[in-house]
Amino acid sequence: MRVKRVGCMVLALLIGGLVIGLAEGQKIDEATRAWLQQVKVGPYQEATLYELALAEGEVTIYSYSSRVHNFAATFEARYPGIKVNAFDMDSGEILTKVLAEQRAGRFSADVIYLKDPAAVIAELYEPGYVFNYIPPDIKHLLPPHYREPLLVHHISLDVFIYNTEVYDSSPITNIWDVTRPEWRGKFLMPDPLVTTEYIEVLATIVQNADAMAAAYAEAFGEPLVLSPGVENAGYEWIKRMLGNGAVIVRSTDDVSNAVGAPGQVAPPVGLTAFSRLRDKEKNPQLAFDVAYGMGPVLGVEHQVVVAIVNRAPHPNAAKLLIQWMMGDDRGGWGYAPYHVFGNWPTRVDVPAPSGVPALAELAYWNTDADFVWDNYGKIVDFWTLNR
Amino acid sequence: MSPLSQLRMEMRENRRSSARGLWRGAPRKLGTPQFLLSAVLLVVLAVFVIVPVGTIAVDTFVWQAGDVRLSREAQPGALTLFHWQRVFRSPLTGHLLTTPLVNSILVGVGTAALSLALGGLLAWFVVRTDMPFRRVAGALAVVPYMIPSYTLALAWLTLFKNQRIGGTAGLFQYLTGVAPPDWVAYGFFPTVIVLALHYYPFVFLLISNALASVDTSLEESAEVLGAPRSLVLRRITLPVILPAVLSGTILTFSRAIGAFGTPYFLGSPVRFFTLPTMIYSNIGMRFPSTANILVLVLIVLSTILIFVSQKMVGVRRSFVTISGKGFRHKPVELGRWKYPALAITGSVILFAAVLPFIMFFWQSVMEYAGTYSFSNFTSAFWLAPAGTRLTEGEPGLLRNPEVLRAAWNSVRLSATAALVAAVLGSLIGYVVVKGRGTVISKAIEQVSFLPYLIPSIAFGAIYLNVFIRPWGPIPALYGTFLLLVLTCAFRNLPFAARSGVSTMIQVSGELEEAAQTLGAGWFYRFRRVVFPLTIRGMIVGFSLVFMTTMRELSLIILLVTPQTRTLTTMTMRYQEQGFVQFANAITVVLVVMSVIGVWAIRKLGGQSGGS
Repeated sequence: MRVKRVGCMVLALLIGGLVIGLAEGQKIDEATRAWLQQVKVGPYQEATLYELALAEGEVTIYSYSSRVHNFAATFEARYPGIKVNAFDMDSGEILTKVLAEQRAGRFSADVIYLKDPAAVIAELYEPGYVFNYIPPDIKHLLPPHYREPLLVHHISLDVFIYNTEVYDSSPITNIWDVTRPEWRGKFLMPDPLVTTEYIEVLATIVQNADAMAAAYAEAFGEPLVLSPGVENAGYEWIKRMLGNGAVIVRSTDDVSNAVGAPGQVAPPVGLTAFSRLRDKEKNPQLAFDVAYGMGPVLGVEHQVVVAIVNRAPHPNAAKLLIQWMMGDDRGGWGYAPYHVFGNWPTRVDVPAPSGVPALAELAYWNTDADFVWDNYGKIVDFWTLNR
Repeated sequence: MSPLSQLRMEMRENRRSSARGLWRGAPRKLGTPQFLLSAVLLVVLAVFVIVPVGTIAVDTFVWQAGDVRLSREAQPGALTLFHWQRVFRSPLTGHLLTTPLVNSILVGVGTAALSLALGGLLAWFVVRTDMPFRRVAGALAVVPYMIPSYTLALAWLTLFKNQRIGGTAGLFQYLTGVAPPDWVAYGFFPTVIVLALHYYPFVFLLISNALASVDTSLEESAEVLGAPRSLVLRRITLPVILPAVLSGTILTFSRAIGAFGTPYFLGSPVRFFTLPTMIYSNIGMRFPSTANILVLVLIVLSTILIFVSQKMVGVRRSFVTISGKGFRHKPVELGRWKYPALAITGSVILFAAVLPFIMFFWQSVMEYAGTYSFSNFTSAFWLAPAGTRLTEGEPGLLRNPEVLRAAWNSVRLSATAALVAAVLGSLIGYVVVKGRGTVISKAIEQVSFLPYLIPSIAFGAIYLNVFIRPWGPIPALYGTFLLLVLTCAFRNLPFAARSGVSTMIQVSGELEEAAQTLGAGWFYRFRRVVFPLTIRGMIVGFSLVFMTTMRELSLIILLVTPQTRTLTTMTMRYQEQGFVQFANAITVVLVVMSVIGVWAIRKLGGQSGGS
């Protein structure tokens, strides 16, 4: 049954592609054109949206990423007559702004594009301040957990890194290695209370407490004994890591610059964003790489979501923009600025950017927005007490 | 009676006392312009200051939406004491409140003391001595405040960092082979030095303004009468500049206990955390109630300081130095101390302003960030046309129309906000000083200082929430340029108000009274007598607000629109994309614009002030 349905879908797609393909060079009469337009078939599926969007004339997006300006420019070039009002600010600031607008009934944003899905779902989605929009033609190309409750635009990984000038391969192979005496004061990570996506990372480590306990047994050859009052192996790792003199820095580039600086004798290791590897293009002296062989996993995922705002003044332009952001099957169009090292597309048909392992080849933990939301305060308090 | 005590008597008579009685029986004087002005100012302050602070206070008793993450009992919107218990009586108290509070107070006291020493010394050198290059030094002495303080923190690390935080060792270790101890590299000590180098310009501006308005004949008379220099300093010079010293102390202390970036940057490697760390992280995690309680703690702390300083000025009173009599300046001859003085001034300016500025510029002309060689030079980030490979298609800064528009917005916003704040600050100074001792005067002085203690991002969020809808006779200001101006003006009003108060204290009441006797109306008096006499103070207030607004980011980020985006909002963009060169180039532009702005307003003010 299932195979058959997929087969039908492929067939439908092929036909659809054929219609679009043919329409480009076809000479069709006015009546047919009107009919196509009316029933939104063929080239007019997109074009109708464009016409409706054109009537709206502009679209306003609040984005956590400044690359919004890049895809806004390509959008404006592709769809003349629609102006993109792009705001870039922190995810937390977007939440604050949208909450204020919705409560006051000042509807000005159309699209939001941000991290921290746990907060977006609980504070904006559940009260009906934002809605999910999945471009219909790519729905089947998205795994269910990347399209519900909100569309996930792309994901990133937070991973362990080491210095490649001193070490030929990663000196740490297990997440518990950073609690060993030889790494005392030599493990760096961004402050989760300041760079808050690391609360998601810690929460995911706590959620996978069983795997953490197994990893401990593997690393030390004996079962883990929890400290008094500590709930599980995930919390125990946080406690021992902090107790081992972990150096708390402000942001991900502080970690990669410290780990990757050349000319070190005993460089530290660190936990940072996979995408920091991109810095090596701009500063070739930096010598660090991802510890791909880490156990139990090499890192933790975090998601970037996109949604349409309640009573968006330009709903059709918003749809068109989201469609543009999701790109084509090669990671082009509006997705192009994100089709780079350190981000992975959620569309199954888009290949990983060149030089990057495909997501399927990497062992990482998914984040669970509900778990993050429910345990957020507990983790913050635990961190504050133990740091 | 010795001649010296006779002089003291004369000065005492010169003290302002004329206005005091006038205000004691306030109801009698309901119709006076001063009273009307006070009333108007109170209303303005109520709308733009008390309401925001009140919102903060009320919020601490209400469950917020995000609080369900902290407690299962949270019911958003309902009243609760949970947040107060969490901060004051919970296992977290020590980590959340006590230790950070003690650290903050230490940083505040250290920074204020060092700023006072640096700023006071430099002000004296520049205004009152025959030190060479005084004018240049005076112009450059405020530049450190225009340079983002985190760069000084970075420079400190470049010099003194040890292996604790990884990366390459600092220059000191490289040259001497000795690793600096942790306390030199991180934590309290470097934080105080860096903050003081950044904030001493407050003290410098206020004290040099005060010194410039002092008639040196007072000091000379004392010296002629045989008083030793130390006595002259203690009994004449210090009392005269006391209001400026106190204002400077209050401004630097409050800013230091509220500073986030530098203490965090230098402190976190040794886990030296201050209150702002907790405030910012709680705002970032959207636990606003916890953050707000800690903000209220900061407010209480500074209020105590202001109260104590009001007592000091109140008890010792103040000395009028801008009187109807003409006076002249006779510089102190430094003699063989001339060049040591120049060396001190020069090195402060060199390390806090010139070197960081050169570093910025250098880093904006590097092809690869971090490689300091001439072969690595490129002007692409300044001048390249769009489509250049090196800049990933972005045009050079000076060719980018978006950057130019943002720069214009920065100037427009800073100048307007500074003007609004400076005028308000002068009016506040006027009514506070005229009414010194009365409740209304104290209230205005205290309230006008409150915005200084609220973190920028919290202040921006409050203004967003209050002015997003029509509010009484005020229309919804959300999305307008006016709201940006008001936000920046009121958030930075304390600079202008402090400067207004300390200037106005020095102005003799006799001039205004003379005009009054001659039948001049209040508006005429204010415009022709009070205003010209206090123009120097207004320029100080204007400069401080202008420089601060120029660098403002988190305050306005929630309120800007694409059309009103400023230059600082663009640095974020380049930093995120790893374009260190663009980010540095923007900082260079900001500093240059600040210098030009402050220089221009001085020229302008100097002409209209007439002296």
